[in-house]
Amino acid sequence: MATNDGTTIIGESILISGSLAGDEDLTVRGRVEGTLTLTRTLVVEPTGQVKAEVQVKNCIIAGVVVGNVTASESVEITKEGRMVGDIAAPRVIIVDGASFKGRIDMGDVEIGDADRTSERLDRPSARPSIRPAARPALPRRAEPEEEEEEQAPSRPSMPSAPVAMGAVKRKVLVKPTRR
Amino acid sequence: MAGIEKASAPRSVAHTVIGSSIVIDGEISGDEDLVIQGTVKGRISLKESLYVEASGVIEADIETANVEVSGSVTGNIAASDKVELKADCKVTGDIRAPRILIADGAQFKGNVDMDVREAKGK
Repeated sequence: MATNDGTTIIGESILISGSLAGDEDLTVRGRVEGTLTLTRTLVVEPTGQVKAEVQVKNCIIAGVVVGNVTASESVEITKEGRMVGDIAAPRVIIVDGASFKGRIDMGDVEIGDADRTSERLDRPSARPSIRPAARPALPRRAEPEEEEEEQAPSRPSMPSAPVAMGAVKRKVLVKPTRR
Repeated sequence: MAGIEKASAPRSVAHTVIGSSIVIDGEISGDEDLVIQGTVKGRISLKESLYVEASGVIEADIETANVEVSGSVTGNIAASDKVELKADCKVTGDIRAPRILIADGAQFKGNVDMDVREAKGK
């Protein structure tokens, strides 16, 4: 039989539109549109395009995702990954080179949901292990001009977000560098 | 109908596998082989082969070049080349294809259309 034990692969030329649900890992090399619900890991490979509401346990994005992603564990955008949409997950990893537009909600963050739009998360290298406290002041500075809708003037406590993220295993720095 | 039995071999090259716990409700289209072990409702249109494995459940209209069914299919099947119903499959719906093979043990209910020109009841 084919390659399978608990892994589903959507090949490059395949387009699925509609809803997709399952209890196993899913690798997308083609296109999926609609809704995608898994209890395991979604991997969007560089050739993959997902335009869907995504609800998974883990999500690794090396391709393109347009839509909101809710993960019960983690979301990782690799350097090839591009995403537009909101992320809700306790752990969010965005590596250097990744592009992302949308909000991130890590849940536990004290200040409620961290609503920041149009932010670019990036870090030169070593992503885990750098203390977020080093740079949390930065977001404040550049944000006003690039953030129209979610300016969040009511929360000068922004810096505490990354700190709280630090409580999660992976830390994410929020640095509004624009390309 | 020349029995070409080898046609079921090339499954190892299939790129797309819908695993057994997956449920898709909607449309699948593509240009490559597709192996289905899970559930698909809606529509499937492919330019290559579709393999419905024993655990696969399809409630969809199917349009492909080849179809090989070991699982269950409810819906119409139109293949440009061949439809093969393996033993233990369950198929309900109409089949249209130039070549149709039904193995001993297959359950099938529906019409068969091989587009035969000369008079020949099936």
